[in-house]
Amino acid sequence: MDVRDDLTMNDFLREVLGFTGTKFGCGAGQCLSCAIIVDAPDGTSTTMPTCIVAATEFNGKSVRTVEGHARDGVLTPLQNSFIEHFAFQCGYCTPGFLNEGQVLLERLAKAPIARADVERTIGEALDGHLCRCTGYVKYHQAVRDVILADPDRYLT
Amino acid sequence: MRPSRREFLKWSVVSGIGLSLSRFALADIPGFLAHETLPGRGVWHPPVGRVDGVAKVTGAKLYASDFRAADMPGWPVETGHALLVRAPDASHAYEGLDLASLPANAKPTVVVTADDLVRAGIRVPDFYKGDLLCPPGKTPLYLGQPVALLLFEKFDAFDRARLLFREKGLLKFGKETGPVDAPNYGAFRFTRIAGATAASQDVYSPIQEGWISPGFVESSGRPVWTVLPDAKGPEYVKGATYGEAIRAELAKSDPAVLSLVRDFETQSVDPMFLEPEAGLAWYNTGDRKLEIVLGVQSPFEAAGAIAFMLGEANSGFKPNQIDAQYSYIGGGFGGRDHTPFPLYVTLAAMFFPGRPVRLAHDRFQQFQGGIKRHPFKMSSRIGVDRASGKITAFAADHVLDGGGLANYSASVAVVGATGAIGMYYIPKVDVTTVALHSRGVTAGSMRGYGTLQTMTALETLVDEVATALPLDPIEFRRRNALKVGERTMTGNPYSVSVRAPEILDKLEAHPIWRDRKQQKARATVGKLVGTGVACAAKDYGTGADCSLGTVTIDAEGRISIHSDAVEMGNGIGTALANRVAAHLGAVADEVTVAQVDVFDELGLVTSGDPYAISQAEQDAAAANPRWVPSISSATSASIGAHVGTQAAAEAARAVFRFGLWPAALALWGIRATDPRASLWRDAYWQNGVLILSGLSPLPLKAIAAKAHEQGRVTGAMAHAFSRWAWAQATFAVDGEDWTGNIDALAVRQGSGSFQRLDRKTVAFPNTDYNRIGTAFASMCGTTVRIEIDKTTGALRIAKAYSVLECGEALVPEIVLGQSQGGFAMGVGYALLESLPPFEHGPGDGTWNLGRYLVARGSDLPLHDLEIEVLPPLSPNEPPKGMAEVVMIPIVPALLNAIYDATGHRFQSLPVTQAMIKGVLA
Repeated sequence: MDVRDDLTMNDFLREVLGFTGTKFGCGAGQCLSCAIIVDAPDGTSTTMPTCIVAATEFNGKSVRTVEGHARDGVLTPLQNSFIEHFAFQCGYCTPGFLNEGQVLLERLAKAPIARADVERTIGEALDGHLCRCTGYVKYHQAVRDVILADPDRYLT
Repeated sequence: MRPSRREFLKWSVVSGIGLSLSRFALADIPGFLAHETLPGRGVWHPPVGRVDGVAKVTGAKLYASDFRAADMPGWPVETGHALLVRAPDASHAYEGLDLASLPANAKPTVVVTADDLVRAGIRVPDFYKGDLLCPPGKTPLYLGQPVALLLFEKFDAFDRARLLFREKGLLKFGKETGPVDAPNYGAFRFTRIAGATAASQDVYSPIQEGWISPGFVESSGRPVWTVLPDAKGPEYVKGATYGEAIRAELAKSDPAVLSLVRDFETQSVDPMFLEPEAGLAWYNTGDRKLEIVLGVQSPFEAAGAIAFMLGEANSGFKPNQIDAQYSYIGGGFGGRDHTPFPLYVTLAAMFFPGRPVRLAHDRFQQFQGGIKRHPFKMSSRIGVDRASGKITAFAADHVLDGGGLANYSASVAVVGATGAIGMYYIPKVDVTTVALHSRGVTAGSMRGYGTLQTMTALETLVDEVATALPLDPIEFRRRNALKVGERTMTGNPYSVSVRAPEILDKLEAHPIWRDRKQQKARATVGKLVGTGVACAAKDYGTGADCSLGTVTIDAEGRISIHSDAVEMGNGIGTALANRVAAHLGAVADEVTVAQVDVFDELGLVTSGDPYAISQAEQDAAAANPRWVPSISSATSASIGAHVGTQAAAEAARAVFRFGLWPAALALWGIRATDPRASLWRDAYWQNGVLILSGLSPLPLKAIAAKAHEQGRVTGAMAHAFSRWAWAQATFAVDGEDWTGNIDALAVRQGSGSFQRLDRKTVAFPNTDYNRIGTAFASMCGTTVRIEIDKTTGALRIAKAYSVLECGEALVPEIVLGQSQGGFAMGVGYALLESLPPFEHGPGDGTWNLGRYLVARGSDLPLHDLEIEVLPPLSPNEPPKGMAEVVMIPIVPALLNAIYDATGHRFQSLPVTQAMIKGVLA
């Protein structure tokens, strides 16, 4: 597919593909509502804002958006945890938090951490994401509870 | 002038445009409403959580900004795009656009200017009075005023033009004119002098004498508050004379009285809801129908304003029908209540006939054009009897910067002024307030609605008084807290619970407050430790609150709810489902919100202004069983639980009483003459099973099937109205008199259609309740411990505790979440957020996040924030609004803690790290 060089990935997803699950918040890479997951060939994943990055930068890359977490209608543990904790209110920042939390869980599954480091690790991972409704507390609790519910997987 | 806090435009001004709305027919793609009906029939969802939970974690199309033409059944597939160009200058004459600088691939197809609006016969609704587009030759009325609407067929051209406008300006300005002067938006004086005893009548009060406004203004537009002979009549002179007497008493030197005079200033901030305003519209020239998708807090008003705008338009610009549909919104906080944005979405469609067109702010544009919070300048004086520690008198003068358009400025001034004495009882009060026009971006409704500003000034002053007396700050508050039954500054008591003593006891006993001295002494090297406390009593309700709701149950026992309340993140859909479930035994699997077009069967009509109507007019109008004082009102989070769920709850109660209950009796084999037939109030639900002592429990599904089989009431539609009390009416249902806190009712029997029931009697709250400032308030208190780095001035919140009361919490998890969110917004307001008012402020179009700081997770005590919600006083205490009050006390509590740590009292907001460092140097 041809796209113009200066079309952002956010507009490519939302305007060209119609995938509006990825949100537009600021267009300045500051709120991370628009962050998606980029899966590297080595099996690691990171999040990346889409509002300030050209769609062409993602050419050939494997990405995941909020629409792709649940499989066949079955929610992931993190999606369920967000719902059960009432983690979000308006929900507009939720795709960014979900992507960031998912990347963190996948990282911890490969490199578990000590229980004492859980809160700090979550805090560092989510800190760039802005939410105006919730005060962040329940997002953090929702991620933490997924980690603590599966200590063999995530904790040393 | 009497400001309407929630003004709305009547359907009767619609000038022949039909507003009866159609539903989408089934098509290949789901209709808009299918996206907005949650959780959705047959859709799996977890047993706990919000009704919108699955949609929000799976990226479902939900918000206005998510929809394009291709998502709308029956629309053309292609979406056009609109660029609303705004002026970054309000002191030079605007001279037009430099469109020649746009390359061919960024040229708009249509350019709409002020002249085009005139030619089309576009009218401006009163609430948004001013030029919708600034005409060339005129100086923009305010920074960020729209000057032109550019319409593009393709996204790429729009996107290029948007970036070029941002980078190069492309607006031409001529000679310097200075800013445009305009009259103030409203000036009021609230004066009360209590009688000799608590039981005696007030000597003077707004509720007895009416609200007053001075008859004279200076050339600057500011009111003259001194007592002058008033050509308008003696009312102002009388009140002002009492007011000046209070001030004279405060100015008197009396060693027995501690008297303080303090100034306090607050800043402009942006609501910064995360979804910038967006809308989609299509004017179908074939059937002359305008279809529009919006996300606003005031859907009924938006539809009325659009209809008024086009009501007298020329042929080609006046649709036969307007189909307005409303989505979930990505945050609101007041900033989406009565904004002019829907008018521009409409204009984009009307000037691009046949083409679906999308107008969506980016964040720069949202900062440039979105509604702001009012900056206040306040001067307060307080007198305290040293011996008793009781406040004897209070006077204050407030000046609000309302920015470019009037919007809600007058009513924010009123609410801020009447909130100026917070949770205290003070026998002599005199507060003046004026909202001024300026060239700043328009200010309007925002969480706290003026009281955040005035209570921050008050609670820091109260802290200073306690220090000066000296008296423990909590003990000082206890001695002065308003008690249940005592009068507020407008002269009426609250008509809800007043729980200041419990809140103060909780704060006093909390370890943060109790151990403050030890913690201060234990400060580590290089750190200062301080503890602060503050309280707030925040009104909720507007004095003309409406609720529309429909509840139906099918033969399978599945429940559907429709409501006019808007889901802005506050969980209204979940609150509706929970409140209805209490009556019907199960949580609805179809909840739609922001609906204003599905209540036609009620046949409601209205007339007059609910705030200004006389008693005689109301009595005469009420004789028409279809008349109500107001049809639908805007949603704010703080009235979501109290108001938004009322009609649905009453509808559910009727469905139970006249549908499920008689069906259950039939299943039990109990005849109408059996005494047990009247025990419907004693029956209750457990896990979808109806229980009445001594009888075999009945599953909901069986009862619902029986109700349908017998043609009982299986659906009810209701309207409720509150003017500080619910209107109450009696209806004949199944041959019985049925009374509810509603003023209109329609019912469905079996699978039939809804039939309106004429009310037999109705009692609307008296019109003199309009003199009440507020009758409903919730209270919240916060104590906070901070650490300040002596070298850098960096402030860290170590621990915080907020305690609030809100009657029955319909969804406790959401109350907790709102409290945490309010705390975070308060921290941002106190320490981080600020917008310059004029040039170099948001109106210049260069502001975005990064430059504008809101609280992040690392700014907050995520694991050290404790929220306590007091249980309701009794099982029948109704829900109270709480979403605003929870953001207020943290602001002054932080300032009081900063004083405790540094010995410096800051008199303006925000208090930044640099400012703290400055006073430590």
